[in-house]
Amino acid sequence: MGRILSLWLPQLPLDRRIRLGDPCTNGPFAIIVENKNAWRIAHLTPAARQAGVSEGLSLPDARAICPDLLTAPADPMREGSLLRALWRWADCLSPRVAFDPPDGLLLDIAGCAHLFGGEKEMGTHTREQLADMQIQSRIGIADTKGGARALARFSDTPVAIAAPGETSQKLKTLPINALDVHDTIVRGLAQSGLKTIGQLYAIKSGELARRFGLTLTKSLSGSLGHEPDPVTPAAADPIYAARMTLPEPIGYKSDIEGVLKRLSDSICNRFVKDQKGARRFTLTVRCVDTGDHLLSVGFARPCAEPQLILQQFSRPLDELKIEFGADWFRLVAEHIEPMQPRQLALGKVADEKDSTAHLISTLGNRLGFDHVRKFAAQNAHLPEQEFKTLEILDEKYEPIWKACPRKRPIRLYPTPEYLRALKPGRPPVAFEWRRKKYATQSVQGPERLTSEWHYDGDKRTRDYWKVQTSNGPRLWLLTYPGETPPHWFVAGIFP
Amino acid sequence: MAVQQAGLGKITLKNHRVVSLGGVIQLACGRTHEVMGDAADMFAIATAMHMVGPVLWIGCHNHVRSLAPTGLQDFLSPARIITTSCISRQEVLWAAEQSLRMLKNGCVVTALDDGPNLTESRRLQIAAEEGNALGIILIAKRAQTSAAQTRWVCDALPDQEIAWVWRLTKDKGGQVGTWKVGWRAYNGENKDGPNLIFMAATAAA
Repeated sequence: MGRILSLWLPQLPLDRRIRLGDPCTNGPFAIIVENKNAWRIAHLTPAARQAGVSEGLSLPDARAICPDLLTAPADPMREGSLLRALWRWADCLSPRVAFDPPDGLLLDIAGCAHLFGGEKEMGTHTREQLADMQIQSRIGIADTKGGARALARFSDTPVAIAAPGETSQKLKTLPINALDVHDTIVRGLAQSGLKTIGQLYAIKSGELARRFGLTLTKSLSGSLGHEPDPVTPAAADPIYAARMTLPEPIGYKSDIEGVLKRLSDSICNRFVKDQKGARRFTLTVRCVDTGDHLLSVGFARPCAEPQLILQQFSRPLDELKIEFGADWFRLVAEHIEPMQPRQLALGKVADEKDSTAHLISTLGNRLGFDHVRKFAAQNAHLPEQEFKTLEILDEKYEPIWKACPRKRPIRLYPTPEYLRALKPGRPPVAFEWRRKKYATQSVQGPERLTSEWHYDGDKRTRDYWKVQTSNGPRLWLLTYPGETPPHWFVAGIFP
Repeated sequence: MAVQQAGLGKITLKNHRVVSLGGVIQLACGRTHEVMGDAADMFAIATAMHMVGPVLWIGCHNHVRSLAPTGLQDFLSPARIITTSCISRQEVLWAAEQSLRMLKNGCVVTALDDGPNLTESRRLQIAAEEGNALGIILIAKRAQTSAAQTRWVCDALPDQEIAWVWRLTKDKGGQVGTWKVGWRAYNGENKDGPNLIFMAATAAA
């Protein structure tokens, strides 16, 4: 029979804030969650409780009771990562630790308790350790997962222990909520006059199942140990990294490349086995005199080829200044993504795609990936709003071009360029732009455009004129109607 | 009148592909070509239009930012274009060299203020030869003595709706000349014929 320890962290979101040293938590403060279209209080500080606020109150009610109440919404992402950190910490208690989201951990402590001097001592030790980390906790120890969870959450003492074989005895007086079942079942049982777990023991499980479904009987028999319900420990994420320490420092670029080659070989072999690739690699070079230097390179698509890694690192390595040598190296792969096995180049197309991706990595690593961009169409009618540029690695948008219905210039100046009218007219008969004089030959227009109501930029109505100059260039002139005297701008150039 | 083959060196015939801009004008791949004048953009677009695969447009921030895909769509799919904006001439030249070398059979358009000098253009030329890419260098201000295969001066013509005059002022492997070029499909008519038509070839500029 296993022994399970359930660790419940009743106010994890609040504890996270307290640990951060948030000054709000000194006074009345509460964590709120959105539940059934209303913000409700989930966790609160003792000061807030003293002021009369309680869990489950809606936020307006709580504010009415305690006008000084400060609140913050729960942040499941950050709380999840705190729980993950605690999951790693729990390795010091037992080698088999599983998550019990959102706010608990389950530990299989069979054969571990004696190391702490007994189960009770182990429980108090764990609570003390967590209290040192400013995290509140409650602990239940029983033969089964369900039993331990119920004891941790519903017993009177902070460390509740059911001795081996006495789980059903201990659970007897606990309310039915302690079983992990849905609210409707609990309400149904309450309507039939069943309030504690002990009352269910006397009823045949077949009858319970017929009336309330299999989930209830399953949960009950699991908690009592009639059915196996083992702890399945979560596995750590693999870390793709390799390290090398040398007896003597090295300084030549060729030597460092040799080290890098070995490191990337070892990472890439693991990648190939796991069918994964990384978009980013970081190399730490520890120099004997100047300390750590971090070099990193990015890739346009997941990469698992040592050759490409070496190629991209050649530039950062060139720029690295080493005087007395480096003796410690570590290469880490980041942004790991699954890599589908690909067909080896079928003709030219695959080859060209490879070379493009390779080129994008090279350009991006030196110029910055935000400087290599592609075009995407936008559904709007102002000329500068009809398209936008995206980072080339942005994969949210399909690179399919939706044609714009109107004839537009091939150059469109983001800020229209002012022109000096030499001979007025609509548009000017003669004008000067970029130190060149132009004369109007024929004009088309105006095309009058007004921005959408939600447009943030310049909301003035614009008149665009297509002008064929007698010098050759076909320009797109812009003016804002209603202005006196009218100012004219060059908005773009037609082919 | 004999049809003149422009922009095509003797050496390139053996090793490299040729991009034909509507028959008369042919540009050699694995070479760089310099383009000047007001309508230089259009020459680059016309070349890219006759090629397949990605088009890399490299230049300083202001040059690249004013490129409008809504206008380019009449000639080539904007989805093919990858823009690269750099902050200095050095970066532009570096990016151009890398792209010419690595973008196999691609089209690389590089915008510079002053044209590349002999060393710079020779480097670009070698890179283009290695990658068999076609390099177009747009020169805004002044050209220098360079190793480019050809040099064109392109300007818009006022008399037609869409027409340009392309003057070939330097060709390492052929004769110079002047062409008047029109765009037929711009207003939607004549979808089947060649898009760029050559209305006249005037002898020696």
